[in-house]
Amino acid sequence: MKRSGFIIIISALFAASTGLALLLPRIKHGTTANIYRGGECIYSVDLSLVSESYTVDFDDGKSHVNTVEIAPGRIRVLEANCPDGVCVNTGWTDSPAKPIICLPAKLIIRISGEAPDGFDAVTGAAR
Amino acid sequence: MNTKRLTFLAVLTAAALGIFIIEAQIPPLAPIPGIKLGLANVITLWALYALGARDAGLVLAARILLGALFAGSATALLYSAAGGALCFGLQLLLKRAAGEKNIWALGVLGAVAHNAGQLVCAAAVTGSAAVFAYAPVLTASACVTGLFTGLIANALYTKLKDTRIMQGL
Ligand SMILES: [Zn+2]
Repeated sequence: MKRSGFIIIISALFAASTGLALLLPRIKHGTTANIYRGGECIYSVDLSLVSESYTVDFDDGKSHVNTVEIAPGRIRVLEANCPDGVCVNTGWTDSPAKPIICLPAKLIIRISGEAPDGFDAVTGAAR
Repeated sequence: MNTKRLTFLAVLTAAALGIFIIEAQIPPLAPIPGIKLGLANVITLWALYALGARDAGLVLAARILLGALFAGSATALLYSAAGGALCFGLQLLLKRAAGEKNIWALGVLGAVAHNAGQLVCAAAVTGSAAVFAYAPVLTASACVTGLFTGLIANALYTKLKDTRIMQGL
């Protein structure tokens, strides 16, 4: 293949990915935070209904504990005992484009329009 | 394999490992362990052209195993191996099509493939496609860092091609 062929392919790849990377975070549909472990939803909360911050501990039963802070309109992992600390460093999220991922604990926090089918979101009031 | 070549491969592995460990100290661009600039790929890519697929593969495998031992964990090894294998596989596949003049392009495409391998691995571990939300930002950054590593590998290959360093290997 000629040099120009590679330049075209790579430019297209770069333009498309940059465009998506810039556009996706602007899409803000959904205020429900769904928390998954191993692909299964274990907690769901509508962040727009949260009036006061509170924390919930998620223990995987294998010594991983993630303390999640649920605040008005946003959510983060406040504390975790995973070795990499990536989930805590990700910080707050309020966008579907920025899921919070803790690979050691197999935990994912994802913003979405609604709770998964058959799952009742908690109302979000501080308890 | 003669002694000079064996020694040379060991030096290359040490260099790649050094780059890899220094790079591991830089904070990641996305919450996936092992996602980084991929500067160690300069060594593998150059070796693929200068020494051939078998020896480049050996250096890569040694770097991944030793890197996990020094800087990472068993899980880091999984991600590193998934990314490394996909990256190297693609470069191997495209080596002939790219030729000596387009080594830089394999740097870019290899870096993109490396991140893709790690994302797929992370999706498998978490049982969720949510990690792919980071695919665009990772692909865009892989284009930039891959161009950087690809151009270095390309220049290295061109400069070293007919020098005494390569004689008797
Ligand atoms: Zn974590």
